[in-house]
Amino acid sequence: MNNTLKRGLKIGAALIATITAATALTGCAKETEPTPTEQSITIYSGRSEDLIAPLLEQFTDETGIQIEVRYAGSAELAAQILEEGSNVQADVFFSQDAGALGALTEAGVFKTLSSDITDLVEAKYRATDNTWVGVSGRSRVFSYNPDLVAAADIPQSVFDLADSAWKGKIGIAPSNASFQSFVTAMRVIEGEAATTAWLTALKENAVIYEKNGQILEAIEAGEISAGLINHYYWYERAAEVGEENMKSKMAWFEAGDVGNLVNVAGAGVLTEKPEAATFVKWLLGQTAQTFFVEKTAEYSLIGLPQRTGLPALASIESPEIDLSALAPLAETLELIRNAGLTD
Amino acid sequence: MAVVAVLTSLAPLVYLGVRLNEFGIEKVLTQTLRARSFELLANSVVLTLAVAAASILIGSFQAWLTVRTSVRGRSVFAILAALPLAMPSYVAAYAFAALLPGFKGFWAAWLVLTIGTAPYVYLAVSAALVRSDAATEEVARSLGLGRWNVFRRVTWPAIRPAAVAGAMLSALYTLSDFGAVSILSFDTFTRAIYNAYRSSFDRSAAASLAAILVAITIVLLVAEPWLRGRLVPTDSRVRKTSHIHLGWFGPIAAALVLIWAGISIALPTISLIRWNFIGLSQADTGELFRALANSISYALAGGVIAAIFGIAVSVLVVRYRSKATVLLDKTIWLTHAVPGIVVALSLVFVSNRLVPQLYQTSALVIIAYLILFLPNAIAAMQTPIAQAPKALDEVAASLGASRLETLKRVVLPIAGPGILAGAALVSLSVLKELPATLMLRETGVETLATRLWNETSVSSFAAAAPYALLLVLVAGIPAWLLNRQVRQSLYNQADIDRILERE
Repeated sequence: MNNTLKRGLKIGAALIATITAATALTGCAKETEPTPTEQSITIYSGRSEDLIAPLLEQFTDETGIQIEVRYAGSAELAAQILEEGSNVQADVFFSQDAGALGALTEAGVFKTLSSDITDLVEAKYRATDNTWVGVSGRSRVFSYNPDLVAAADIPQSVFDLADSAWKGKIGIAPSNASFQSFVTAMRVIEGEAATTAWLTALKENAVIYEKNGQILEAIEAGEISAGLINHYYWYERAAEVGEENMKSKMAWFEAGDVGNLVNVAGAGVLTEKPEAATFVKWLLGQTAQTFFVEKTAEYSLIGLPQRTGLPALASIESPEIDLSALAPLAETLELIRNAGLTD
Repeated sequence: MAVVAVLTSLAPLVYLGVRLNEFGIEKVLTQTLRARSFELLANSVVLTLAVAAASILIGSFQAWLTVRTSVRGRSVFAILAALPLAMPSYVAAYAFAALLPGFKGFWAAWLVLTIGTAPYVYLAVSAALVRSDAATEEVARSLGLGRWNVFRRVTWPAIRPAAVAGAMLSALYTLSDFGAVSILSFDTFTRAIYNAYRSSFDRSAAASLAAILVAITIVLLVAEPWLRGRLVPTDSRVRKTSHIHLGWFGPIAAALVLIWAGISIALPTISLIRWNFIGLSQADTGELFRALANSISYALAGGVIAAIFGIAVSVLVVRYRSKATVLLDKTIWLTHAVPGIVVALSLVFVSNRLVPQLYQTSALVIIAYLILFLPNAIAAMQTPIAQAPKALDEVAASLGASRLETLKRVVLPIAGPGILAGAALVSLSVLKELPATLMLRETGVETLATRLWNETSVSSFAAAAPYALLLVLVAGIPAWLLNRQVRQSLYNQADIDRILERE
């Protein structure tokens, strides 16, 4: 018995030693290592590192507050925050879309933001209970190849795309979150029957893609005439291939059309650390807002002028809708699937 | 130690249980018993069977050709057969989709997953062929059996257990894969699980679906021994065997293997290289090296830890075979088809409640790798460890060696190549792993796979290409090592004979 115990202890010790060794071995190279004396906050970012890292550096330069940041998909990070339970590691959640923020609001994990932050942004771009705030806007657009679509033929409403004249000419990405939020908005505003009819017509007319970027590529190549994407994909591609090499153009539907839905990327605060609120407020300051306009071609939500070539945010007149209501997408997915757009 | 391994691998099941319990059994049933769930289930099952069948066909053919025949260039073919293991299936899927517009749906997913998992069968069958006795085949030939009948009645029964074991790995991989099927737009169960998180933020619905994957795994585990057939006893002393001369079939066989290599290796590689030239975005060299260093550390640590636990479990199952230990062994496989994101979330859940100190440390990442890939290690090690004659243990014990010492001085040297192969297989899988690494890594630590994810998520393909190419190159090292170890078992067998004679 004694022997067994000894052996058990030996094995246990060996086990701990190997795990420690492995951990030491993976004393992994990190990009930044804040010293413990400095103030520091942890951000979970659903926005990609390429876009956001330079912005965060500026924040540290200006405020002296150090930042540790985790990049992953917004939805995965939301799930992770929920599973962390009472041991939440993030001070701020910076999400790519309002849906993930709405899910965390519903779970009650956000702290309420003070009015000096929320007052900076129009009511329709933040949570009704002030638990999160939008920091930059993006619009759904009608992207088209001017060789294939004459200016006069640009549709007035997204519902015009149900016309058989568009058969085989229009690209959509029905499995993509941005398309699904837009369909949710359509469902909320226009009703289930109208949405189903539109989706069924699109099943006939549309060419299906996985991502917005692929739609744009196909329009550029002339494989399809037009497509429904988010406006900043045009600028993303322009940055990759050069603006002068861009063939496609963007157009908006008539004012108030659901095809012009403006969604936001936003942030919420998870801990009482004052630096966390400071960060969210800083995102709505001049530096960050200018950055979004210049680097990602998004809309400023505090009224800075947009990139040249884009219509003003106020002139788009996106439909009135509570953006956090775009979160429960299960019904939308069902509609899209029933129309046969996703297999 | 084996018990620790089993308990760790049960963490995802505990988590699923908690989530389902919270959800309530009625809601679980309404969530899972929808027509849509059955459609997805059918999609997953059909894809899994198709991939497994194709893997058996292709992998076994490659193994037979490179081990048993005298076809010219067989050592090159051997490397080509193992190499696709180095390419993550999501990278291959991206590469194919970029090269061939309209490449999507069932057959696309089937092709990419077959490319990625046929090497599992190839490696297992190669090892079995190296060990099995070619003399039986020669006798069958001399008794007038045709080539096909020799294969059907002699060779196939000998390699069947290995082929099925390899196909099991490829089946479970296919069940749990998310990257390839999502890029190629084929709706499977895993995709529905991810969608539950992504679109509805519904952890409990996702958990119900994941529980069904566990159920399918149980079915496969129960069916496996039956599919394997009986182990054909072989003469453990392997003599130098003569290789089969293929005659007119030689060039055809070589052409077939080369065409497959072209599809599985050349096409995606060309596509990756093309990425380098189509964009303006560029990868940062400093970041590239940091990511490389981190990837290699994780891969080494994962390989070493998996090898240690793999030896413990294998020795237990092989040397102390009982109903209990066999059950223990099967338990480790239970979560092998559960997608990475569910395993990761379960560790977030469990560690934050039990050992918050571990959360977001590299140790937890290694534990995740252990859960995800221990079955791969065991699959590679068990047979080599079983090969070490039990008589030697007894001799060692009679000479007063402790059990640990016996393990160190008898079993490990004999099963060495198999153990190394298991570790290499795990290292390889660690290099390619994405969802768990992304969620559990220490904040700020990036690997080649996470950088690749980061670049492709903003469609900077040109910046992503160096990471993808580097990942494939680095993963090529364990892939090559694995191949070598498996094929060297031949010499190892000679070592055993030497040891036996010495004793």
